[in-house]
Amino acid sequence: MELPGYYEYYCGVKIIAGHDALERIPGILQDLHARRPMIVTDKGVAGAGLVDIVLGAVKDQLTIGAVADDVPPDSDLRVVNRLAALYREQDCDALIAVGGGSVMDTAKGINIVVSERADDLMKFSGAGALKRPLKPLVAVPTTAGTGSEVTLVAVVKDHERHLKMAFVSYFLLPNASILDSRMTLSLPAAITAATGMDALTHAVEAYYGLSKNPLSDATALAAIRLISGNLVKVTRNPSDREARLAMANAAALAGMAFSNSMVGMVHTLGHATGSVCGVPHGVCMAILLPYGLEYNRHKREAVMGELLFPMGGSDVFAGTTKEQRTDRVIAYVRQMNQDLHDASGGRHARFFKEVLDREGKPAVPRERLLDIARTALGDGSIFYNPEDLDYDDFLMVLEAAWEGVALDPGCIRT
Amino acid sequence: MFQPQKTYEFYSPTKVLSGNKALENLPVELDGMNAVKPLILTTPGLSARGMEKVMASAFGDSNLTIGVFAGVPPQPDLRLIRELYSLYRDNGYDAIIALGGGPVLDTAKALNIAVSGKPEDLESLASGNPLTKKLKPLAAILNLDLSGCEMTRYASLGSLSLTSPALIPDLMIIDPRTATEEEQKTMAATSLMSMTQAVEACLHPARNHLTDAYAYGAARFIMENITNVMRNPSERKGRLALANAAFFAQTSFDNLAPGMVYELGMAVSRSCHTKPGLIMGLLLPHFLLLEMRKETTDRKDLYLFIGGPEAFAGTMAEASARKAVDRIVEILLELQSIVTYFPRSIRDLGIKKEDLEKIVAHGSAAGVRGEYDPQDIRNILEKAWETRF
Amino acid sequence: MNEYKEIQSGSKPFKRAYVALMLWFVGRAIEAAARVDAAVKAEFDGLSPGFTFSLGVMPQGPTMIVGKDDQGLVRYRGWDPEGQKIDLKMKVKNLEGAILMFTFQESTAMASARNRLIVDGEVPAACAIVRVLDIVEVYLLPKLIAKLAVKRYPDWSFGEKIRNRIRIYGGAIFGL
Repeated sequence: MELPGYYEYYCGVKIIAGHDALERIPGILQDLHARRPMIVTDKGVAGAGLVDIVLGAVKDQLTIGAVADDVPPDSDLRVVNRLAALYREQDCDALIAVGGGSVMDTAKGINIVVSERADDLMKFSGAGALKRPLKPLVAVPTTAGTGSEVTLVAVVKDHERHLKMAFVSYFLLPNASILDSRMTLSLPAAITAATGMDALTHAVEAYYGLSKNPLSDATALAAIRLISGNLVKVTRNPSDREARLAMANAAALAGMAFSNSMVGMVHTLGHATGSVCGVPHGVCMAILLPYGLEYNRHKREAVMGELLFPMGGSDVFAGTTKEQRTDRVIAYVRQMNQDLHDASGGRHARFFKEVLDREGKPAVPRERLLDIARTALGDGSIFYNPEDLDYDDFLMVLEAAWEGVALDPGCIRT
Repeated sequence: MFQPQKTYEFYSPTKVLSGNKALENLPVELDGMNAVKPLILTTPGLSARGMEKVMASAFGDSNLTIGVFAGVPPQPDLRLIRELYSLYRDNGYDAIIALGGGPVLDTAKALNIAVSGKPEDLESLASGNPLTKKLKPLAAILNLDLSGCEMTRYASLGSLSLTSPALIPDLMIIDPRTATEEEQKTMAATSLMSMTQAVEACLHPARNHLTDAYAYGAARFIMENITNVMRNPSERKGRLALANAAFFAQTSFDNLAPGMVYELGMAVSRSCHTKPGLIMGLLLPHFLLLEMRKETTDRKDLYLFIGGPEAFAGTMAEASARKAVDRIVEILLELQSIVTYFPRSIRDLGIKKEDLEKIVAHGSAAGVRGEYDPQDIRNILEKAWETRF
Repeated sequence: MNEYKEIQSGSKPFKRAYVALMLWFVGRAIEAAARVDAAVKAEFDGLSPGFTFSLGVMPQGPTMIVGKDDQGLVRYRGWDPEGQKIDLKMKVKNLEGAILMFTFQESTAMASARNRLIVDGEVPAACAIVRVLDIVEVYLLPKLIAKLAVKRYPDWSFGEKIRNRIRIYGGAIFGL
């Protein structure tokens, strides 16, 4: 195991994982001296009956102050302020966020407003602006992928002022994250596949990134092993509770790894593709991950080869020479995309040209690749990528990922 | 790493800063916790080795005032906490920095309870009432003379046993200037303690993905570095790896109930005044051999922790548990040849055969988890008494 | 209790002076590079009018400030942030971190990977400035050292590199 010359690591979130983890929420809130939480969630989650499951698990021991189930997918400052007002009216003293990224961000935003009595959230954006603990926040993720249940960032948009405010603080970390198999059991196959590949990307990029450290390594390896053993399985058989729980664990482990070791070019390009073409994040990650491995390979050959152990298991690892391991790792990721494509009835995209939007039209027209490459130049995740990329490099990678062909090693400038 | 999934909880609230110039980040980290005037606690021994100067230099250019109390004794008591309580209050401190192992952390944790509330809260916590106040910031700077509980929820002060997750330090710093060379035997004891905690975490019935991840990191770092550092204590990177391993092992230990070897090691240590880590090192192989004879425990991946992926993958599944034990015995034999006066059996420590029965009785009555058979405990102790490595 | 004492944190005047000198030098070199190197100029052109950034050491400097003036020219704006509108603040967490960077023991990429830098401001602008710093480093440093400081050493033509290097050194030292 490698010890870097210097590293930092932190994940102060209490993790509770299991088939009946939700039942522990009352005890956790009691330890945090809270007795009247507000539940924050969205229509989709509520409609799928997940809020009822949460309520069923906690209601005997807990008074719920309010249930706000109308966080929109594109949440913003207005929603945050409205729900903060509800929190105060109902005299709540803690938050339970049930949902994905948008719900988590909104709940974190509400928490800043109600804890700091902030009339202008902007005052608390940027690093180091929050100086003390906020109200108790319990995160209940309903997808297994983003890892936002263990990350310290919140992004809140202000649609009126056309601003995107980023909040970064340890105090934004949830006090506890509840990983319960019941919360992901009804996730459709294509979303299961894409979010699972998002988690795999977090772990893999954390493992070969510049900020890797022994704890991000250990959590990344555990995540990769769980994903390799369970993602295709659960996409084929969505009601497999053990595999669902394994994936929820994997997503949280990968979240711990990347929030401490950061991510690289797969995220740089993924963020850019998401913002230019509106492609879901997990889909971009699945498509781009093989290219992150190929592009950085000359700088990280040995480290990448180590990933064959959690991906392929003992026998494959022992049976492959050191020189061939990285090849196998890259092939393994591509095969995984293929298997997920098959398991989801073709809905899991393997390259950009087969990504479709809601109307069934190609979501990433080839001519937009130029815009994507330009946007990528402004994404901070590139700092942590082992090799540098300029506009031409971004475009070269995007072209290959659009077509679905391997990178030409001759085109990678070293 | 392959266990069936049960509901688990895991909590590690510590921020880790490890490596070159880690100490210099203290002012920024304290500022992030709203603290500007820390009180450093350390021992006369560490002070004599120039640690105060190191700390003063680390705070150089920060504009902060720091207090240093360099009088933590090997057995801190309530009287000391009361004195430090007044000192902390009267001089306006707002954070504690514990520099050193065992007693320094016990003092720091106890003092933190007192200054965050009142000194009477100590007795209250010891008698089972939970803490109600959020504690003040506590940073720990680890070296290689450790008790095994520094970064955990446990502290003891004379007859008081204090247990609360709130006691776990907020910050842990490992820096080459403070994780300096100790006597070989001290570093061996510290590492064998970590090894025991990691191995028992790996075999623990309540192990989970996160205790596994931490135990794995600990075991790898110890196996890769322990003998190198004993041979060449000036090997700085190896020392830092061992200090990191201690934190990882303690964190997995803290999230599981203490294991049998740990509890027995502590019990034997009380009757012979030898560092518990050395004793645990002697008990561990006998414990593992006994475990291997049972069909119940899931131990097939122990060798992954001990030997690493390359060795593990290259070994037949049936042989791998045995290989793990062999590898640990090899390490112990190597330590014997490197470390002067390294004990070879618990008999060497002055334990009499008739003392064992008392430890068995104590072990099965108190600490040791109920599922262990007193016959097993007796068996392990006798083996560790008779067999000389 | 004679084991107790209170210590005022001292100062490190030589290290401070060294970092201050380096910051002064780098600040003026950026100004010169924006005149000489097309890529640096393009990066600044892409930033908003009047864009100003600072690079400094916590908690109390030294600092250097560089910004675009009314004509869009890049100017070194001295060391005192007082009264200046700064869009992007890059702060090294402590003096020792700055020493590691300015003695080239840690590259900008490594420093950020090791969390030694705090960036306060818009991320796309920070990315542009890091690219500018990388280019300036390649001009200022001998290849052997610059190769450690940047991830990928550019394949510029030798003649152009030397010509620009002389002009940037001239600009930084003599204000030419």
